[in-house]
Amino acid sequence: MPWCVDWLADTPLEPHITDCISRDQATFQCWWSPGNFHNLSSPGALRLFYIKKDSPASEWKECPEYVHSNQECFFDNAHTSIWIPYCMQLRSQNNITYYNEEDCFTVENIVRPDPPVSLNWTLLNISPSGLNYDVMVNWEAPPSADVGAGWMRIEYEIQYKAINTTKWEALEMQPQTQQTIFGLHIGKEYEVHIRCRMQAFTKFGEFSDSIFIQVTEYTFPLTLVLVFGIVGILLLGMLIVISQQHRLMMILLPPVPAPKIKGIDPELLKKGKLDELNLILSGGGMGGLPTYATNFYQDEPCVEFIEVAVEDADTGEKEDNQGSDTQKLLDLSQPVSQHMNIGFSNVVSFPDDDSGRASCYDPDLPDQDTLLLMATLLPGQPEVGKRAMAAERGARPLVHTQTEGPQTWVNTDFYAQVSNVMPTGGVVLSPGQQLRIQESTSGAEEETQKKEKEHTGGEDSEEDKEKELQFQLLVVDCEGGRYAAEGNAWQIGGPHSAPMPGEGYQTIFPQPAETTPAATAEGSQSPYILPDSPQSQFFARVADYTVVQEVDSQHSLLLNPPPRQSPPPCLPQHPLKALPAMPVGYITPDLLGNLSP
Amino acid sequence: MPGNIRSVSFAWMVLVYLLFCSRRASVGAAPICANAQAGCHVLSLANLFDRVIQHSARTHSISNDLHSEFEQYFLPSKNHIGRVSRNCHTSSILTPNGKDNAQRMAREELTEVILKLLVAWRDPLWHFHQNMAHHHDFNNFSSNKALEMSDMVHELRKGVEKVAEKMQVLGIISNTVSSLASPEASLPSDSAEWRLMKDYNLLSCFRRDSNKVQNYLKILKCRIVPEHGC
Repeated sequence: MPWCVDWLADTPLEPHITDCISRDQATFQCWWSPGNFHNLSSPGALRLFYIKKDSPASEWKECPEYVHSNQECFFDNAHTSIWIPYCMQLRSQNNITYYNEEDCFTVENIVRPDPPVSLNWTLLNISPSGLNYDVMVNWEAPPSADVGAGWMRIEYEIQYKAINTTKWEALEMQPQTQQTIFGLHIGKEYEVHIRCRMQAFTKFGEFSDSIFIQVTEYTFPLTLVLVFGIVGILLLGMLIVISQQHRLMMILLPPVPAPKIKGIDPELLKKGKLDELNLILSGGGMGGLPTYATNFYQDEPCVEFIEVAVEDADTGEKEDNQGSDTQKLLDLSQPVSQHMNIGFSNVVSFPDDDSGRASCYDPDLPDQDTLLLMATLLPGQPEVGKRAMAAERGARPLVHTQTEGPQTWVNTDFYAQVSNVMPTGGVVLSPGQQLRIQESTSGAEEETQKKEKEHTGGEDSEEDKEKELQFQLLVVDCEGGRYAAEGNAWQIGGPHSAPMPGEGYQTIFPQPAETTPAATAEGSQSPYILPDSPQSQFFARVADYTVVQEVDSQHSLLLNPPPRQSPPPCLPQHPLKALPAMPVGYITPDLLGNLSP
Repeated sequence: MPGNIRSVSFAWMVLVYLLFCSRRASVGAAPICANAQAGCHVLSLANLFDRVIQHSARTHSISNDLHSEFEQYFLPSKNHIGRVSRNCHTSSILTPNGKDNAQRMAREELTEVILKLLVAWRDPLWHFHQNMAHHHDFNNFSSNKALEMSDMVHELRKGVEKVAEKMQVLGIISNTVSSLASPEASLPSDSAEWRLMKDYNLLSCFRRDSNKVQNYLKILKCRIVPEHGC
């Protein structure tokens, strides 16, 4: 102790008390030194006596517990009193007393607590600049100090310094067992230790063992970033490929186009499911083929398909359609067919469907090509028509076999089979059910546009049937291309229209069959458009042909003798004979008997 | 000054406590306040103890500062502990001198000892302050400290009395603690002795006694309400 050594330097150092310390304010120890009197250094040569001045009659007592190895005297709990002055003295064997009044103290004033224990630190945060950081240091009170009973109230002092420096930084004293150190530098290593003392007293305890704090810079893991980046890019590429799979397939492997019919499931067309197909097309399933039926080919671009238009059951409307169709047929300016369309999917709808485009990419075709196209298409259909008709109408097999192809399942007027091609360029078509007198136009080009509206086998009115047959005869006059057509209407059980007077022949139109209530309407009657010859006079006289004028009540035909006119020898093949398939207008052998001359 | 404000606030709080929460029907953990109003802030015993202990710590700290100042100015080199301790006027009050003794002592006794000490120092400190104000040896800072110390001891005594009352209400201690209404009675017969003490002695003695009060209060608290801070 400084007050004990320095100013006694010139005198021989006599035995003295070097220090008295209490660690827990319940016990204390005193150390002495013999000084220069080395002969008194042996244990037991000096004895320590103390006095507790708690009463005026107190006496000197000897040390209760000697620790001779340390030259120390230990006072335990029983011999320790707080707030009472103690005085120490040394006595040698020969009763020489070495006493200093300054060796008096009260125990609370000599308390130096043990250093705190369990010192450690945690990182609080790093500054945004990345140069500084804060740490939280925490510890525990020394176990010897009875803080729990409140006997000692301790405050702590943290000191820290960088390793290569000498000056310690001290933080403010405080009684908590944790404290924050602010503003440490990244990369530097710091040394931290702690000591404590009693509150409102002056003597500190020993420093604890040092701990070392160091926080290094955060190195950016470049390799990790690279690896993650590559993996991410790969995943992205795979995602793109998977999501755009269809497009890629389209680009690499474009689909093969196949013929398709708009509104009809291609599955039906594939394996010959003709029954269903006929059902659909004849409107059995859903009342006709809707014009906006499910478009199976919505996605595929530029699919060529055949648009099949279904006529309504309203025969009156059909009449109008027929008329318009007929008009269109004969009118050169009109498009060829109203019902035969080559439509396009995925293409902007053109103003008129009868544009006659053969494909997506070709411009408008001339009508001739369209006609040829249609001619090629027609043969494919008779099979369908025959079978359908055979199934449906047993009573009129002959009639309906004539009407090939779309007759059974399409209520159109413009489908006809070209039976023969005239040298003049005219086309002989299979006759339809009906002969139109007014459909007379002139023009060579019209010959090429012959169309015969086939007899639509009453697909709309099958339900209420009484079969009605209509026959028509087609006579081609080879003299000048004139021809005459006779329409023989033979109605079963129904009145017929009166022949037109004043004409070379008479045609009986099946139209009254539709209008007469008793008559079982045949249903669809396709107008029969005749090809026109240049000098076609529709009313050319026909020889050797009998026109059935009326049918009497006994179902016998009443014929008018027509003006006889021998047909030219170069009459081309009689349509009736030429056609392997019987056209509509003819008289069966069965009916011949009924004909009255 | 913060000490003044603290002592004033402590007194106000105690006053409020007395005014609104003085109804005590039965022994036990009954609520002190009759009606839960904003002005009636119920303080738990632990809370009261904490405040009192803080107060005593502050008192001891001031006395320590004054003592070292005095020692620095007037008696720089000598350790006078041996001589001074005999002349404290509170030496006649029997106080436990160790942790074991203090822990073995009954709560009522310990509380009484604390109150005795505090009562005994009220007048001496007041006179000490008066002496310091008149003596120009001390600077104003020391004089203010002496006044603060005097006031704090006064408030501390009241606080401890409140704690004792609360403990009696809660049944922790019996009703044997005297109210100590007349502080002169507790002084020793030669009560004039303290006037003769030197100021330094007074400061030494008070420093010791304030430490005693602080320790006793802490021991009491950790024995009765050891929740937090022990």
